[in-house]
Amino acid sequence: MARPAKAHADGGLVFCDGDWSALHVATAERQLKSIRLAPGEIKIDVSGVERIDSSGAWLLSRTARQWRSKARTVDFVGTSEHIRQLFRLIAEQGIEGEPPRPATHGFLENLGRDSLNAATEQLAFLSFIGNITFSSLRILLTPARLRWSQVVTDAEESGFDALPIVGLLAFLIGVVIAYQGGVVLIQYGAGIFIADLVGLAMLRELAPLITAIIVAGRTGSAYTAQIGTMMVTEEVDALRTMGITPIDLLVLPKLFALVVMLPLLTVFADLMGLLGGMAMASSMLDMSFQNFVDRLGQSVRLQDFLVGVGKAPVFAAIIASVGCYQGFRVTGSAESVGKQTTLSVVQSIFLVIVVDAVFSIVFSALDI
Amino acid sequence: MAENAEIVVELRDVVTRFDEKLVHDGISLQVRRGEVLAVVGGSGSGKSTLLREMVMLLQPTAGSVTVLGRDVTAASEIELLPLRRRLGVMFQDGALFGGQTVLENTGVPLREHTELSGDLIDEIAQLKLLLTGLEPSVGALWPNQLSGGMRKRAALARALALDPELLFLDEPSSGLDPISADGLDDLILQLKELLGLTIVMVTHDMDSLWRVADRVVLLGDKRILGAGTMTELSRSVTPGIGKFFSGPRARVAAREHNQGASL
Ligand SMILES: Nc1ncnc2c1ncn2[C@@H]1O[C@H](COP(=O)(O)OP(=O)(O)OP(=O)(O)O)[C@@H](O)[C@H]1O
Ligand SMILES: [Mg+2]
Repeated sequence: MARPAKAHADGGLVFCDGDWSALHVATAERQLKSIRLAPGEIKIDVSGVERIDSSGAWLLSRTARQWRSKARTVDFVGTSEHIRQLFRLIAEQGIEGEPPRPATHGFLENLGRDSLNAATEQLAFLSFIGNITFSSLRILLTPARLRWSQVVTDAEESGFDALPIVGLLAFLIGVVIAYQGGVVLIQYGAGIFIADLVGLAMLRELAPLITAIIVAGRTGSAYTAQIGTMMVTEEVDALRTMGITPIDLLVLPKLFALVVMLPLLTVFADLMGLLGGMAMASSMLDMSFQNFVDRLGQSVRLQDFLVGVGKAPVFAAIIASVGCYQGFRVTGSAESVGKQTTLSVVQSIFLVIVVDAVFSIVFSALDI
Repeated sequence: MAENAEIVVELRDVVTRFDEKLVHDGISLQVRRGEVLAVVGGSGSGKSTLLREMVMLLQPTAGSVTVLGRDVTAASEIELLPLRRRLGVMFQDGALFGGQTVLENTGVPLREHTELSGDLIDEIAQLKLLLTGLEPSVGALWPNQLSGGMRKRAALARALALDPELLFLDEPSSGLDPISADGLDDLILQLKELLGLTIVMVTHDMDSLWRVADRVVLLGDKRILGAGTMTELSRSVTPGIGKFFSGPRARVAAREHNQGASL
């Protein structure tokens, strides 16, 4: 192995030696930069260079060029035929000025661009919603045109496959509520109300919300990643050129599948949550399952259940449309797939919670 | 090419199997330092797969691959790292990183493996881009703003970033207009001369086979059907080989080559 490249100055003479290939010229670059030039003519002696590649040759020729621009005469001495060939190759490219970089903008311009982008983003999302609403209505008129086999596959992936995780988490939430509530209720001798607590909290709020959040993380992100990757590989464009609208093929089956599956998952989460509450109540309060269910029947009305399950299709529509929309926003690169997937999950969870709050206000105003 | 030149890549009895599908059944070949070896063969004959085995992206099912004197079938990923720095690879469809500009893409190997200043890296990257025949302003573009041919050139520039000893090119001239393809052939010859590169390339381009390849290996039927210089192969009477090199396209390229030689 040759020694790393070195450069040192002695008056008007600059000596270079060692291995001037890309992996070994870093030190020489710093040394050349720190050389204080003596006045007068400069000679760069490269006779000690043992190996050189185009990076090393470029370093030498750009240094000479920089020194020349300070009104010095710079000459190379001891150049081998190989070095001269490399210099010629570099000279033929006629490099001038700085390498190009993408245009950057000032603070104000960036602010303006960002605001404009944010505004058009909102508009684009609205128009996307309009688009899928229109397509859904059209397809509802001719249901045979919906890709039913795709709907079934999507339903399996987004619904059936999510049963274990949704069930487990709902059960645990039921346990936690029963425990936290039970600790307080026992002190007042009101242990029996634990069924009211678990029943109302689970059915009205927690089961729909938890299920929607899990599905947003699990399925919404998958929708974005799938459509996004198809954007990168121009598969979406290929569909368009075949006269197939990407919305029909990619969005509607996902949307319909989720709108059906999310309420069903919510019912399952209701059951598992109640089961968790019952398990906790029987172990902490010695309350039999029979008692729990009796109490539940007195305190929880059918409409509490319906309020919870009724929110689910709305959440499903939010998750599917945000997920697909962010997928179509992907531009060109793998990085962009990652960015839009993150955005998709954050936005759909955000929207789900906001809409849930709106539901609460409306229901309380309507006294449901 | 001298018969006793150093052997930089050697495949011995390589067998490749994807599940049920047998792609290579006992392939042995050697690449000598300083030569341009072209691998040809029909679509799906396993050229890209063979290239992937040479650049250590894929383990052959059986047999051994030696690169720059190292048996890479037995080596661990960490042991391979220093070796990988000595090769440049250009993929069939570019494989540029979408999140970086063309200039940044080209500078990636330099940025990762050297301690050069950012300015110098950008300048060297720009030099490589110009070398492959791209316009000076292309460096600022993003990969998805490039045409297919530009993407090929940018990928070649990135493969050349560290001036590798060994360069692997998967179909460098496909998707280029004829003038650019000729330019690329010239470039490959020039790089071979100047930088002492050894080049292994997959190509279908008869013209570049005649112009740049020192030796040609023809894959087919899971084996090597023939190997030798273009002149030798095109005169071969073995059925499989003759067919490949005597189609109408091949004949035009051969005629042009011979005329050029006699002028
Ligand atoms: N990951 C893989 N899994 C299964 N089969 C594969 C895989 N990669 C390649 N093959 C098969 O191996 C064979 C050779 O593929 P390869 O990409 O090497 O062909 P090629 O000679 O480069 O063709 P082309 O000229 O079209 O690029 C093909 O039949 C392909 O189907
Ligand atoms: Mg291939």
